[in-house]
Amino acid sequence: MPGTLSWEASRRRAYLTGLVPALVVLAVITVVPTLFLAGASLTPLSLVDPASLFDFSNPLRNYAELLHDPRFLGSLVMQLQLSALTVTLQLAVGLGLALLLNVRSSFFEAIRTVFLIPMVLPPIVVALIWKIIYTPDVSPLHRFLDFVGLPADSFITSASTALLAVAVADTWQWFPFTMLMILATLQMIPNEPLEAAKIDGANHWQTFRYIIFAYIRPALIVSGLFRLIDSFKAFPLIYVLTDGGPGSATEVTNYYAFVQAFNFSYWGYASAIAIVLLTGVFTLSWAAGRLGWNGDEGE
Amino acid sequence: MTDITDIIRFRSGNAPLALRWPTQRFLVRVGLHVLVAVLALMVLLPFLWLVQMSLRPEDEIFSDAVLFTPTLENYRALWQGNFAGSFLNSLAVSSLSTGLSLLLGVPAAYVLTRWRFKGRARVALWILTTRMAPPIAFTIPFFLAYRVLGLQDTVWGLALIYMTFNLSIVIWFMQTFFAAIPESLEEAAWIDGCGVWRAFWLVTLPLAAPGLAATAVFCFIFSWSDFFYALILTRTNAMTAPVAIVNFLQYEGWEWGKIAASGTLVMLPVLIFTLLVRKYFVHGLTAGGLKD
Repeated sequence: MPGTLSWEASRRRAYLTGLVPALVVLAVITVVPTLFLAGASLTPLSLVDPASLFDFSNPLRNYAELLHDPRFLGSLVMQLQLSALTVTLQLAVGLGLALLLNVRSSFFEAIRTVFLIPMVLPPIVVALIWKIIYTPDVSPLHRFLDFVGLPADSFITSASTALLAVAVADTWQWFPFTMLMILATLQMIPNEPLEAAKIDGANHWQTFRYIIFAYIRPALIVSGLFRLIDSFKAFPLIYVLTDGGPGSATEVTNYYAFVQAFNFSYWGYASAIAIVLLTGVFTLSWAAGRLGWNGDEGE
Repeated sequence: MTDITDIIRFRSGNAPLALRWPTQRFLVRVGLHVLVAVLALMVLLPFLWLVQMSLRPEDEIFSDAVLFTPTLENYRALWQGNFAGSFLNSLAVSSLSTGLSLLLGVPAAYVLTRWRFKGRARVALWILTTRMAPPIAFTIPFFLAYRVLGLQDTVWGLALIYMTFNLSIVIWFMQTFFAAIPESLEEAAWIDGCGVWRAFWLVTLPLAAPGLAATAVFCFIFSWSDFFYALILTRTNAMTAPVAIVNFLQYEGWEWGKIAASGTLVMLPVLIFTLLVRKYFVHGLTAGGLKD
Protein backbone atom coordinates (compact mmCIF):
# COMPACT_ATOMS: atom_id res chain seq x y z
CA MET A 1 0.00 0.00 0.00
CA PRO A 2 2.12 2.94 -1.23
CA GLY A 3 -0.46 5.47 0.02
CA THR A 4 -0.21 4.37 3.66
CA LEU A 5 3.55 4.26 3.47
CA SER A 6 3.86 7.83 2.25
CA TRP A 7 1.39 8.95 4.92
CA GLU A 8 3.57 7.27 7.53
CA ALA A 9 6.63 8.97 6.08
CA SER A 10 5.02 12.40 5.98
CA ARG A 11 3.72 11.94 9.49
CA ARG A 12 7.22 11.15 10.70
CA ARG A 13 8.56 14.21 8.92
CA ALA A 14 5.86 16.36 10.51
CA TYR A 15 6.71 14.97 13.94
CA LEU A 16 10.38 15.72 13.42
CA THR A 17 9.61 19.33 12.44
CA GLY A 18 7.75 19.74 15.71
CA LEU A 19 10.31 18.09 17.95
CA VAL A 20 13.71 19.02 16.56
CA PRO A 21 13.67 22.83 17.05
CA ALA A 22 12.86 22.50 20.74
CA LEU A 23 15.53 19.87 21.25
CA VAL A 24 18.14 21.92 19.40
CA VAL A 25 17.40 25.05 21.42
CA LEU A 26 17.36 23.10 24.67
CA ALA A 27 20.70 21.50 23.79
CA VAL A 28 22.21 24.90 22.95
CA ILE A 29 21.09 26.50 26.20
CA THR A 30 21.70 23.58 28.57
CA VAL A 31 24.12 20.98 27.20
CA VAL A 32 26.56 23.43 25.58
CA PRO A 33 26.84 25.59 28.74
CA THR A 34 27.35 22.50 30.89
CA LEU A 35 30.15 21.28 28.62
CA PHE A 36 31.66 24.76 28.68
CA LEU A 37 31.43 24.76 32.46
CA ALA A 38 33.18 21.40 32.66
CA GLY A 39 35.88 22.71 30.31
CA ALA A 40 36.31 25.98 32.18
CA SER A 41 36.64 24.11 35.47
CA LEU A 42 39.91 22.67 34.09
CA THR A 43 41.43 26.10 33.40
CA PRO A 44 42.60 29.04 35.56
CA LEU A 45 40.14 31.37 33.75
CA SER A 46 39.62 34.74 35.46
CA LEU A 47 38.91 38.38 34.70
CA VAL A 48 42.60 39.34 34.81
CA ASP A 49 43.59 36.45 32.58
CA PRO A 50 40.80 35.86 29.99
CA ALA A 51 43.22 34.21 27.57
CA SER A 52 43.63 31.25 29.92
CA LEU A 53 40.32 29.83 28.67
CA PHE A 54 42.39 27.37 26.62
CA ASP A 55 45.07 26.74 29.21
CA PHE A 56 44.63 23.06 30.00
CA SER A 57 48.26 22.64 31.14
CA ASN A 58 47.27 21.57 34.65
CA PRO A 59 43.65 20.51 34.27
CA LEU A 60 43.01 19.32 37.81
CA ARG A 61 44.51 22.31 39.59
CA ASN A 62 41.16 23.78 40.60
CA TYR A 63 39.93 20.52 42.04
CA ALA A 64 43.19 19.97 43.89
CA GLU A 65 42.93 23.47 45.31
CA LEU A 66 39.34 22.86 46.42
CA LEU A 67 40.51 20.03 48.63
CA HIS A 68 42.78 22.44 50.49
CA ASP A 69 40.51 25.46 50.53
CA PRO A 70 39.20 25.83 54.10
CA ARG A 71 36.49 28.23 52.92
CA PHE A 72 35.18 25.67 50.43
CA LEU A 73 35.32 22.81 52.92
CA GLY A 74 33.60 25.04 55.46
CA SER A 75 30.91 25.84 52.90
CA LEU A 76 30.23 22.12 52.46
CA VAL A 77 29.76 21.70 56.22
CA MET A 78 27.51 24.77 56.27
CA GLN A 79 25.54 23.39 53.33
CA LEU A 80 25.01 20.05 55.05
CA GLN A 81 23.89 21.77 58.26
CA LEU A 82 21.49 24.06 56.45
CA SER A 83 20.09 21.24 54.30
CA ALA A 84 19.61 18.89 57.24
CA LEU A 85 18.00 21.63 59.32
CA THR A 86 15.60 22.91 56.65
CA VAL A 87 14.55 19.51 55.33
CA THR A 88 13.87 18.18 58.84
CA LEU A 89 11.91 21.27 59.89
CA GLN A 90 9.90 21.31 56.67
CA LEU A 91 9.02 17.63 56.87
CA ALA A 92 7.97 17.95 60.51
CA VAL A 93 5.87 21.09 60.06
CA GLY A 94 4.44 19.94 56.73
CA LEU A 95 3.46 16.53 58.07
CA GLY A 96 1.93 17.96 61.23
CA LEU A 97 -0.19 20.47 59.35
CA ALA A 98 -1.23 17.96 56.72
CA LEU A 99 -2.54 15.60 59.41
CA LEU A 100 -4.32 18.50 61.08
CA LEU A 101 -5.89 19.78 57.88
CA ASN A 102 -6.99 16.43 56.51
CA VAL A 103 -10.65 17.15 57.21
CA ARG A 104 -13.28 17.37 54.52
CA SER A 105 -15.03 20.67 55.11
CA SER A 106 -15.21 23.94 53.24
CA PHE A 107 -13.50 25.76 56.11
CA PHE A 108 -10.47 23.48 55.92
CA GLU A 109 -10.39 23.61 52.12
CA ALA A 110 -10.23 27.40 52.31
CA ILE A 111 -7.60 27.47 55.01
CA ARG A 112 -5.41 25.07 53.04
CA THR A 113 -5.14 27.72 50.33
CA VAL A 114 -4.06 30.24 52.95
CA PHE A 115 -1.23 27.95 54.05
CA LEU A 116 0.05 27.78 50.46
CA ILE A 117 0.76 31.51 50.21
CA PRO A 118 4.39 31.45 51.45
CA MET A 119 5.36 28.93 48.80
CA VAL A 120 4.05 30.90 45.83
CA LEU A 121 5.60 34.22 46.84
CA PRO A 122 8.62 35.23 44.77
CA PRO A 123 11.74 34.19 46.74
CA ILE A 124 12.98 37.76 46.82
CA VAL A 125 9.77 38.86 48.53
CA VAL A 126 10.18 36.09 51.09
CA ALA A 127 13.71 37.32 51.69
CA LEU A 128 12.42 40.87 52.09
CA ILE A 129 9.70 39.77 54.52
CA TRP A 130 12.27 38.04 56.72
CA LYS A 131 14.71 40.92 56.42
CA ILE A 132 11.98 43.00 58.00
CA ILE A 133 11.36 40.39 60.70
CA TYR A 134 15.04 40.23 61.58
CA THR A 135 15.50 44.03 61.61
CA PRO A 136 14.61 45.09 65.20
CA ASP A 137 13.47 48.62 64.19
CA VAL A 138 10.54 47.43 62.13
CA SER A 139 10.12 43.83 63.22
CA PRO A 140 6.91 42.41 64.68
CA LEU A 141 8.97 39.61 66.24
CA HIS A 142 11.27 41.99 68.11
CA ARG A 143 8.31 44.09 69.23
CA PHE A 144 6.76 40.96 70.67
CA LEU A 145 10.02 39.96 72.37
CA ASP A 146 10.34 43.45 73.88
CA PHE A 147 6.74 43.25 75.00
CA VAL A 148 7.22 39.97 76.89
CA GLY A 149 10.45 41.27 78.39
CA LEU A 150 12.91 39.21 76.34
CA PRO A 151 14.61 41.78 74.13
CA ALA A 152 17.08 40.20 71.71
CA ASP A 153 19.61 41.35 69.15
CA SER A 154 18.91 40.66 65.52
CA PHE A 155 19.23 36.94 64.87
CA ILE A 156 21.04 37.43 61.57
CA THR A 157 23.90 39.50 62.95
CA SER A 158 25.13 36.84 65.36
CA ALA A 159 27.18 33.95 63.98
CA SER A 160 25.58 31.48 66.38
CA THR A 161 21.98 32.12 65.29
CA ALA A 162 22.33 33.27 61.66
CA LEU A 163 22.12 29.81 60.11
CA LEU A 164 19.08 28.91 62.20
CA ALA A 165 17.45 32.24 61.28
CA VAL A 166 17.93 31.47 57.58
CA ALA A 167 16.60 27.95 58.11
CA VAL A 168 13.46 29.25 59.83
CA ALA A 169 12.78 31.62 56.93
CA ASP A 170 13.34 28.82 54.43
CA THR A 171 11.01 26.54 56.38
CA TRP A 172 8.31 29.20 56.40
CA GLN A 173 8.57 29.40 52.64
CA TRP A 174 8.67 25.69 51.85
CA PHE A 175 6.71 23.72 54.48
CA PRO A 176 3.58 24.06 52.25
CA PHE A 177 5.29 21.88 49.66
CA THR A 178 5.53 18.89 52.00
CA MET A 179 2.10 19.68 53.39
CA LEU A 180 0.56 19.65 49.94
CA MET A 181 2.23 16.43 48.86
CA ILE A 182 1.19 14.63 52.05
CA LEU A 183 -2.37 15.99 51.95
CA ALA A 184 -2.73 14.72 48.40
CA THR A 185 -1.56 11.27 49.53
CA LEU A 186 -3.75 11.24 52.65
CA GLN A 187 -6.80 11.81 50.50
CA MET A 188 -6.01 8.72 48.48
CA ILE A 189 -5.94 6.34 51.47
CA PRO A 190 -8.90 3.98 51.14
CA ASN A 191 -11.32 3.66 54.05
CA GLU A 192 -11.26 -0.14 54.43
CA PRO A 193 -7.92 -0.58 56.24
CA LEU A 194 -8.77 2.30 58.60
CA GLU A 195 -12.12 0.75 59.46
CA ALA A 196 -10.58 -2.68 59.86
CA ALA A 197 -8.03 -1.21 62.28
CA LYS A 198 -10.80 0.44 64.27
CA ILE A 199 -12.70 -2.85 64.51
CA ASP A 200 -9.51 -4.60 65.62
CA GLY A 201 -9.24 -2.05 68.42
CA ALA A 202 -6.20 -0.11 67.22
CA ASN A 203 -5.66 3.21 68.99
CA HIS A 204 -4.91 6.49 67.22
CA TRP A 205 -1.16 6.08 67.40
CA GLN A 206 -1.26 2.50 66.10
CA THR A 207 -3.53 3.50 63.24
CA PHE A 208 -1.14 6.28 62.32
CA ARG A 209 2.03 4.25 62.72
CA TYR A 210 0.94 1.09 60.88
CA ILE A 211 -1.58 2.29 58.31
CA ILE A 212 -1.44 6.01 57.57
CA PHE A 213 2.34 6.21 57.80
CA ALA A 214 2.76 3.28 55.43
CA TYR A 215 0.72 5.18 52.85
CA ILE A 216 2.47 8.54 53.20
CA ARG A 217 6.03 7.26 53.55
CA PRO A 218 6.80 7.48 49.80
CA ALA A 219 5.41 11.03 49.68
CA LEU A 220 7.56 11.98 52.68
CA ILE A 221 10.69 10.55 51.08
CA VAL A 222 10.03 12.21 47.75
CA SER A 223 9.25 15.62 49.29
CA GLY A 224 12.36 15.29 51.41
CA LEU A 225 14.49 14.58 48.36
CA PHE A 226 12.92 17.40 46.37
CA ARG A 227 13.57 19.86 49.16
CA LEU A 228 17.08 18.49 49.67
CA ILE A 229 17.88 19.06 45.98
CA ASP A 230 16.45 22.56 46.15
CA SER A 231 18.31 23.35 49.36
CA PHE A 232 21.55 23.24 47.36
CA LYS A 233 20.30 26.16 45.32
CA ALA A 234 19.36 28.43 48.23
CA PHE A 235 20.33 31.94 47.22
CA PRO A 236 17.99 34.92 47.66
CA LEU A 237 17.48 34.36 51.39
CA ILE A 238 21.21 34.24 52.08
CA TYR A 239 21.99 37.12 49.72
CA VAL A 240 19.47 39.44 51.33
CA LEU A 241 19.58 38.32 54.96
CA THR A 242 23.23 37.67 55.70
CA ASP A 243 25.32 37.94 52.53
CA GLY A 244 27.04 34.75 53.64
CA GLY A 245 27.98 36.18 57.02
CA PRO A 246 28.52 37.07 59.74
CA GLY A 247 32.07 36.03 58.84
CA SER A 248 31.24 32.98 56.77
CA ALA A 249 28.58 31.60 59.12
CA THR A 250 26.00 31.15 56.35
CA GLU A 251 28.26 30.80 53.33
CA VAL A 252 26.94 27.62 51.74
CA THR A 253 28.58 26.03 48.69
CA ASN A 254 26.27 27.61 46.13
CA TYR A 255 26.93 31.01 47.66
CA TYR A 256 30.66 30.45 47.71
CA ALA A 257 30.58 29.62 43.99
CA PHE A 258 28.66 32.85 43.40
CA VAL A 259 31.21 34.87 45.39
CA GLN A 260 34.15 33.30 43.54
CA ALA A 261 32.54 33.85 40.13
CA PHE A 262 30.94 37.27 40.45
CA ASN A 263 32.73 39.06 43.29
CA PHE A 264 36.27 37.82 42.61
CA SER A 265 35.82 36.83 38.92
CA TYR A 266 37.71 33.54 39.39
CA TRP A 267 35.57 31.84 36.75
CA GLY A 268 37.63 28.69 36.37
CA TYR A 269 37.67 28.03 40.09
CA ALA A 270 33.95 28.86 40.44
CA SER A 271 33.20 26.45 37.58
CA ALA A 272 34.90 23.67 39.51
CA ILE A 273 32.67 24.40 42.54
CA ALA A 274 29.62 24.46 40.26
CA ILE A 275 30.60 21.08 38.83
CA VAL A 276 30.80 19.67 42.36
CA LEU A 277 27.31 21.02 43.06
CA LEU A 278 25.97 19.72 39.77
CA THR A 279 27.29 16.26 40.55
CA GLY A 280 25.64 16.32 43.96
CA VAL A 281 22.30 17.46 42.56
CA PHE A 282 22.28 14.88 39.79
CA THR A 283 23.18 12.07 42.17
CA LEU A 284 20.25 13.05 44.37
CA SER A 285 17.89 13.40 41.39
CA TRP A 286 18.90 9.95 40.29
CA ALA A 287 18.17 8.64 43.78
CA ALA A 288 14.81 10.42 43.69
CA GLY A 289 14.04 8.66 40.42
CA ARG A 290 14.92 5.28 41.93
CA LEU A 291 12.77 5.92 44.96
CA GLY A 292 9.51 6.34 43.16
CA TRP A 293 9.41 9.68 41.45
CA ASN A 294 8.49 8.72 37.94
CA GLY A 295 10.47 10.72 35.46
CA ASP A 296 8.97 8.74 32.64
CA GLU A 297 9.63 5.08 33.32
CA GLY A 298 6.27 4.79 35.10
CA GLU A 299 4.31 4.29 31.89
CA MET B 1 -41.97 -9.59 72.75
CA THR B 2 -39.71 -6.81 73.86
CA ASP B 3 -39.31 -6.62 77.56
CA ILE B 4 -40.11 -3.25 79.01
CA THR B 5 -36.92 -3.34 81.09
CA ASP B 6 -34.98 -3.74 77.89
CA ILE B 7 -36.43 -0.54 76.62
CA ILE B 8 -35.75 1.24 79.87
CA ARG B 9 -32.20 -0.07 79.96
CA PHE B 10 -31.78 0.89 76.36
CA ARG B 11 -32.93 4.41 77.00
CA SER B 12 -31.22 5.03 80.28
CA GLY B 13 -28.06 3.34 79.06
CA ASN B 14 -27.84 5.31 75.89
CA ALA B 15 -29.30 8.64 76.68
CA PRO B 16 -26.23 9.93 78.54
CA LEU B 17 -24.00 8.57 75.81
CA ALA B 18 -26.02 10.20 73.09
CA LEU B 19 -25.77 13.42 75.03
CA ARG B 20 -22.14 13.14 75.98
CA TRP B 21 -20.65 12.13 72.66
CA PRO B 22 -21.94 14.87 70.39
CA THR B 23 -20.94 17.61 72.87
CA GLN B 24 -17.45 16.24 73.24
CA ARG B 25 -17.04 15.80 69.50
CA PHE B 26 -18.50 19.24 68.95
CA LEU B 27 -15.97 20.77 71.34
CA VAL B 28 -13.10 18.92 69.67
CA ARG B 29 -14.30 20.20 66.33
CA VAL B 30 -14.54 23.79 67.52
CA GLY B 31 -11.12 23.50 69.16
CA LEU B 32 -9.65 22.16 65.94
CA HIS B 33 -11.11 25.02 63.93
CA VAL B 34 -9.77 27.60 66.36
CA LEU B 35 -6.33 25.98 66.44
CA VAL B 36 -6.09 25.87 62.66
CA ALA B 37 -7.29 29.46 62.31
CA VAL B 38 -4.69 30.64 64.83
CA LEU B 39 -1.95 28.71 63.05
CA ALA B 40 -3.00 30.17 59.72
CA LEU B 41 -2.85 33.64 61.17
CA MET B 42 0.62 32.99 62.59
CA VAL B 43 1.86 31.73 59.26
CA LEU B 44 0.37 34.71 57.47
CA LEU B 45 1.57 37.33 59.94
CA PRO B 46 4.99 37.98 58.30
CA PHE B 47 3.25 38.40 54.97
CA LEU B 48 0.51 40.69 56.32
CA TRP B 49 3.13 42.74 58.14
CA LEU B 50 4.79 43.58 54.83
CA VAL B 51 1.50 44.67 53.29
CA GLN B 52 0.53 46.90 56.23
CA MET B 53 4.00 48.49 56.22
CA SER B 54 3.56 49.45 52.60
CA LEU B 55 0.36 51.32 53.52
CA ARG B 56 1.76 53.23 56.50
CA PRO B 57 2.57 56.92 56.18
CA GLU B 58 6.30 57.61 56.30
CA ASP B 59 6.32 59.04 59.81
CA GLU B 60 4.46 56.07 61.27
CA ILE B 61 6.70 53.26 60.04
CA PHE B 62 8.39 52.86 63.42
CA SER B 63 5.33 53.60 65.52
CA ASP B 64 3.69 50.96 67.64
CA ALA B 65 0.17 52.11 66.88
CA VAL B 66 -1.94 49.32 65.48
CA LEU B 67 -4.32 51.74 63.82
CA PHE B 68 -3.18 54.23 61.22
CA THR B 69 -4.65 55.97 58.21
CA PRO B 70 -3.60 53.90 55.22
CA THR B 71 -2.02 55.84 52.39
CA LEU B 72 -0.86 55.00 48.89
CA GLU B 73 1.94 57.57 49.22
CA ASN B 74 4.65 54.86 49.14
CA TYR B 75 3.27 53.40 45.94
CA ARG B 76 3.06 56.84 44.34
CA ALA B 77 6.68 57.61 45.26
CA LEU B 78 7.71 54.24 43.89
CA TRP B 79 5.96 54.77 40.61
CA GLN B 80 7.56 58.16 40.08
CA GLY B 81 11.05 56.70 40.60
CA ASN B 82 12.83 54.07 38.53
CA PHE B 83 10.74 51.21 39.82
CA ALA B 84 8.13 51.50 37.09
CA GLY B 85 10.80 50.82 34.49
CA SER B 86 12.02 47.66 36.20
CA PHE B 87 8.43 46.51 36.62
CA LEU B 88 7.89 46.88 32.88
CA ASN B 89 11.17 45.03 32.24
CA SER B 90 9.89 42.16 34.38
CA LEU B 91 6.68 42.09 32.37
CA ALA B 92 8.54 42.14 29.07
CA VAL B 93 11.08 39.45 29.99
CA SER B 94 8.47 37.13 31.50
CA SER B 95 6.06 37.48 28.56
CA LEU B 96 8.81 37.06 25.98
CA SER B 97 10.25 33.97 27.65
CA THR B 98 6.79 32.44 28.16
CA GLY B 99 5.85 33.08 24.52
CA LEU B 100 9.05 31.62 23.10
CA SER B 101 8.89 28.58 25.37
CA LEU B 102 5.29 27.85 24.36
CA LEU B 103 6.11 28.30 20.68
CA LEU B 104 8.90 25.73 20.81
CA GLY B 105 7.72 23.53 23.66
CA VAL B 106 4.06 22.90 22.81
CA PRO B 107 4.70 21.14 19.46
CA ALA B 108 7.56 19.19 21.03
CA ALA B 109 5.32 18.06 23.89
CA TYR B 110 2.69 16.95 21.40
CA VAL B 111 5.20 14.90 19.43
CA LEU B 112 6.57 13.30 22.60
CA THR B 113 3.03 12.29 23.58
CA ARG B 114 1.96 10.84 20.24
CA TRP B 115 5.09 9.49 18.62
CA ARG B 116 6.42 6.36 20.30
CA PHE B 117 9.91 6.41 18.81
CA LYS B 118 12.92 4.61 20.17
CA GLY B 119 14.77 6.61 22.79
CA ARG B 120 11.67 8.64 23.57
CA ALA B 121 11.88 7.95 27.30
CA ARG B 122 15.53 8.99 27.32
CA VAL B 123 14.80 12.29 25.57
CA ALA B 124 11.94 13.01 27.97
CA LEU B 125 14.13 12.27 30.98
CA TRP B 126 16.93 14.50 29.67
CA ILE B 127 14.45 17.37 29.33
CA LEU B 128 13.37 16.88 32.93
CA THR B 129 16.93 16.72 34.26
CA THR B 130 17.72 20.16 32.85
CA ARG B 131 15.30 21.52 35.42
CA MET B 132 17.20 20.05 38.35
CA ALA B 133 20.53 21.73 37.55
CA PRO B 134 21.57 24.46 40.00
CA PRO B 135 21.31 27.91 38.31
CA ILE B 136 24.94 28.73 39.11
CA ALA B 137 25.98 26.03 36.62
CA PHE B 138 24.25 27.88 33.76
CA THR B 139 25.03 31.38 34.99
CA ILE B 140 28.81 31.25 34.63
CA PRO B 141 28.82 30.14 30.95
CA PHE B 142 25.93 32.47 30.03
CA PHE B 143 27.60 35.41 31.77
CA LEU B 144 30.84 34.85 29.84
CA ALA B 145 29.06 34.20 26.53
CA TYR B 146 26.86 37.29 26.89
CA ARG B 147 29.94 39.47 27.42
CA VAL B 148 31.09 38.39 23.99
CA LEU B 149 27.68 38.38 22.30
CA GLY B 150 26.57 41.74 23.70
CA LEU B 151 23.51 40.17 25.32
CA GLN B 152 24.37 41.33 28.84
CA ASP B 153 21.77 43.57 30.40
CA THR B 154 19.24 42.95 27.61
CA VAL B 155 15.64 41.74 27.80
CA TRP B 156 16.33 39.14 25.11
CA GLY B 157 19.33 37.72 26.91
CA LEU B 158 17.40 37.26 30.13
CA ALA B 159 14.37 35.78 28.31
CA LEU B 160 16.71 33.26 26.67
CA ILE B 161 18.24 32.02 29.94
CA TYR B 162 14.74 31.71 31.44
CA MET B 163 14.04 29.17 28.72
CA THR B 164 16.47 26.81 30.48
CA PHE B 165 13.65 26.14 32.95
CA ASN B 166 10.57 27.26 31.00
CA LEU B 167 11.07 24.89 28.06
CA SER B 168 11.15 21.83 30.26
CA ILE B 169 8.12 23.07 32.19
CA VAL B 170 6.14 23.47 28.97
CA ILE B 171 7.19 20.12 27.56
CA TRP B 172 6.38 18.26 30.79
CA PHE B 173 3.06 19.92 31.56
CA MET B 174 1.69 19.80 28.06
CA GLN B 175 2.49 16.09 27.69
CA THR B 176 -0.02 15.21 30.40
CA PHE B 177 -2.67 17.45 28.88
CA PHE B 178 -2.17 16.05 25.38
CA ALA B 179 -2.21 12.49 26.69
CA ALA B 180 -5.71 13.11 28.06
CA ILE B 181 -7.08 13.89 24.59
CA PRO B 182 -8.21 10.80 22.64
CA GLU B 183 -6.11 10.08 19.56
CA SER B 184 -9.19 8.98 17.64
CA LEU B 185 -10.26 12.62 17.23
CA GLU B 186 -7.05 13.43 15.39
CA GLU B 187 -7.27 10.27 13.33
CA ALA B 188 -10.72 11.33 12.18
CA ALA B 189 -9.26 14.67 11.09
CA TRP B 190 -6.45 12.87 9.24
CA ILE B 191 -8.98 10.77 7.35
CA ASP B 192 -10.76 13.98 6.38
CA GLY B 193 -7.50 15.06 4.76
CA CYS B 194 -5.87 17.15 7.48
CA GLY B 195 -2.10 17.02 7.87
CA VAL B 196 -0.59 16.30 11.29
CA TRP B 197 -0.13 19.94 12.26
CA ARG B 198 -3.42 21.11 10.79
CA ALA B 199 -5.24 18.48 12.83
CA PHE B 200 -3.20 19.52 15.86
CA TRP B 201 -4.15 23.17 15.34
CA LEU B 202 -7.84 22.57 14.65
CA VAL B 203 -8.62 19.64 16.94
CA THR B 204 -6.03 18.99 19.66
CA LEU B 205 -4.91 22.45 20.67
CA PRO B 206 -8.41 23.89 21.30
CA LEU B 207 -9.15 20.88 23.52
CA ALA B 208 -5.93 21.45 25.45
CA ALA B 209 -6.60 25.18 25.88
CA PRO B 210 -7.13 25.13 29.68
CA GLY B 211 -3.90 23.19 30.12
CA LEU B 212 -2.13 25.59 27.80
CA ALA B 213 -3.34 28.56 29.84
CA ALA B 214 -2.21 26.96 33.11
CA THR B 215 1.19 26.17 31.62
CA ALA B 216 1.60 29.73 30.38
CA VAL B 217 0.77 31.03 33.85
CA PHE B 218 3.34 28.75 35.46
CA CYS B 219 6.05 29.89 33.01
CA PHE B 220 5.17 33.49 33.68
CA ILE B 221 5.28 33.05 37.46
CA PHE B 222 8.63 31.27 37.39
CA SER B 223 10.17 33.95 35.15
CA TRP B 224 8.63 36.76 37.14
CA SER B 225 9.95 35.36 40.42
CA ASP B 226 13.52 34.81 39.28
CA PHE B 227 16.13 36.80 41.15
CA PHE B 228 19.45 35.02 40.66
CA TYR B 229 19.76 35.19 36.86
CA ALA B 230 18.49 38.76 36.76
CA LEU B 231 20.93 39.84 39.46
CA ILE B 232 23.89 38.57 37.48
CA LEU B 233 22.86 39.23 33.89
CA THR B 234 21.35 42.71 34.20
CA ARG B 235 22.64 46.08 35.41
CA THR B 236 20.40 49.02 34.47
CA ASN B 237 18.69 48.62 31.08
CA ALA B 238 17.01 45.29 31.67
CA MET B 239 16.92 45.34 35.48
CA THR B 240 13.85 43.47 36.72
CA ALA B 241 11.65 44.32 39.69
CA PRO B 242 13.16 41.73 42.12
CA VAL B 243 16.63 43.21 41.53
CA ALA B 244 15.22 46.71 42.01
CA ILE B 245 13.94 45.66 45.46
CA VAL B 246 17.42 44.61 46.48
CA ASN B 247 18.86 47.88 45.20
CA PHE B 248 16.40 49.70 47.43
CA LEU B 249 17.65 47.65 50.36
CA GLN B 250 21.32 48.14 49.60
CA TYR B 251 21.78 51.61 48.16
CA GLU B 252 18.86 53.82 48.97
CA GLY B 253 18.93 53.76 52.74
CA TRP B 254 16.17 52.35 54.85
CA GLU B 255 13.02 53.69 53.27
CA TRP B 256 10.96 50.85 54.65
CA GLY B 257 7.64 52.12 53.34
CA LYS B 258 8.86 52.18 49.75
CA ILE B 259 10.68 48.89 50.14
CA ALA B 260 7.54 47.20 51.48
CA ALA B 261 5.46 48.70 48.68
CA SER B 262 7.85 47.36 46.04
CA GLY B 263 7.69 43.90 47.60
CA THR B 264 3.90 44.02 47.65
CA LEU B 265 3.79 45.05 44.00
CA VAL B 266 6.09 42.21 42.96
CA MET B 267 4.05 39.55 44.73
CA LEU B 268 0.65 40.83 43.64
CA PRO B 269 0.61 39.42 40.09
CA VAL B 270 1.92 36.10 41.39
CA LEU B 271 -0.83 35.80 44.00
CA ILE B 272 -3.52 36.60 41.44
CA PHE B 273 -2.17 34.17 38.87
CA THR B 274 -1.77 31.43 41.45
CA LEU B 275 -5.43 31.66 42.34
CA LEU B 276 -6.19 31.09 38.66
CA VAL B 277 -4.17 27.88 38.42
CA ARG B 278 -4.75 26.50 41.93
CA LYS B 279 -6.20 23.32 40.45
CA TYR B 280 -2.94 22.38 38.75
CA PHE B 281 -0.80 23.18 41.72
CA VAL B 282 0.42 19.81 42.97
CA HIS B 283 1.05 18.78 39.44
CA GLY B 284 3.03 21.91 38.70
CA LEU B 285 5.32 21.50 41.65
CA THR B 286 6.38 17.98 40.99
CA ALA B 287 6.45 18.08 37.18
CA GLY B 288 5.93 14.38 36.74
CA GLY B 289 4.07 13.54 39.88
CA LEU B 290 4.15 10.62 42.24
CA LYS B 291 3.85 7.06 41.21
CA ASP B 292 0.38 5.72 41.82
